[in-house]
Amino acid sequence: MVLATVVVVAWQHELRPTKRQDAVSTTSPRPEPRALTAEEESYAASLWQIHREVTPSAVAMSFAGIVYETANHDARQLERKLEPVAQFFGDAEPRLRDLRVPASLSRVHSQYVDALVLYRKASQEMLAFTKDGERQHLNDAHDMSVQASQDLLRVGEVLWPGQYKPH
Amino acid sequence: MTRLGIGLRLMASLVATFVVLVLLGGTVAQAQAPVCSVWLIESSRFMKVPFGAFMPDRAFVPGSNSPSNNIPTVDLPVNVGVIKCGSDLILYDTGWKQQDYLKMTGSDHWAPIAEQLKVLGFNAADVTKAVIGHAHWDHAGQLSDLPNAVLYVQKQELAAIEWALNYPEKHIRAINSDPGGCNRTPACGYMPLTMEEVYGKILKGKAVVVDGEMEIAPGVVIHPAFRAHTAGSQLLEVPTSIGKLVFGSDAFSSYEAIRDWMVANVQQTDSVQQFLAYERCYKITGGYENCVAAHEPLSYTDKYPLTKNSWVALNGGRMAEIALAPGEKSRKP
Repeated sequence: MVLATVVVVAWQHELRPTKRQDAVSTTSPRPEPRALTAEEESYAASLWQIHREVTPSAVAMSFAGIVYETANHDARQLERKLEPVAQFFGDAEPRLRDLRVPASLSRVHSQYVDALVLYRKASQEMLAFTKDGERQHLNDAHDMSVQASQDLLRVGEVLWPGQYKPH
Repeated sequence: MTRLGIGLRLMASLVATFVVLVLLGGTVAQAQAPVCSVWLIESSRFMKVPFGAFMPDRAFVPGSNSPSNNIPTVDLPVNVGVIKCGSDLILYDTGWKQQDYLKMTGSDHWAPIAEQLKVLGFNAADVTKAVIGHAHWDHAGQLSDLPNAVLYVQKQELAAIEWALNYPEKHIRAINSDPGGCNRTPACGYMPLTMEEVYGKILKGKAVVVDGEMEIAPGVVIHPAFRAHTAGSQLLEVPTSIGKLVFGSDAFSSYEAIRDWMVANVQQTDSVQQFLAYERCYKITGGYENCVAAHEPLSYTDKYPLTKNSWVALNGGRMAEIALAPGEKSRKP
């Protein structure tokens, strides 16, 4: 009986006529990003030298937390992993502020500065956790990192469209 | 009838009864074996990707009449599996979250995962498990929009990213190595926001770090496919009314590649391991038709039959109803 029911249901499902709806492309043309001026290109190239180290440092900060949670709960090891990351973010800030920023990109630059400050604060929050064990530090640090990473993407949208390819 | 004859008849009756019971038992067991309902949703579509960048053996050759080499570009869907098994609602891959960085990827037709699930009659909060085939940005996003989902990620995937980040040579540890995109280096494609989403799940105690094979629901099995796309790629075997399916994320980037034994979407990929992952699907499902590809350009058309029962949903993104468990209603409009 059960088998018969299954057969009937399967037959109804598989063999009943279905209305085919072919894929319809609704692609709408989107405006291409504005080409950067020579001055803006120069700024983007200078910022990239910092940015290419910011992204692995941001991911390294997440991974310090991931390893702590999944491997060993070793606060000293977490501290050892975070210290160079916090140092990097601290050192990168003055480098960033020294860049010559075209007026047209002042908002973009501010976003990047804000992101870097957030990453530095996040790393300090995580380091605070290694001192007092209060998990709220980790949650706060995570929220800051997420916001910083979103800002990084907003900047990337203007300066380096295409930095992440289909994977 | 002699005593021997009666004995023989009795024996024959017992054997016959036993055979019938075994057959019936097998049938009932088969009928009761849990099967899942499966849909496929297009998270977004990468537009006009050079075919050769996706499948080297299909690279466009100007003037060629060969069907293998006369297509210059392809549009690649980013497919997400929606799998309902009893009270479990499982996603295989979670797409990516478009904010205000759309142009970066040359993509189109993106829609939020929560809205896409609503089209199928589900809530994002109902998702119980999110299995990511790997942790690249376009497959492991939107995790924070699935508040109750437990993330399943391979230990090997995480270990390989950490290894790359700690490598002293800057190109090896690069996330985005040069303006214009990174070059398939070991950590390429693991953008900070995506890794924070993964970390967020772990931080909340909503993650399982899988070490190899694991059954996560009756008959629903994670299979490791290490280096078939990334260091810790993983497949998902799913029992359905049309047979077993195997989801492959980017280890199975292309259905045609699995059918024709070609590599596809080579990133942190060992081509031998990718072929072995294809073979795993052939062995589990009995062929290539039930291998679920993440970026097959023919998805949602007759040319990829598994996905042909399709329709256009939000923002031009497509969906397909692949298999229904007994009693499960169709969600196709």
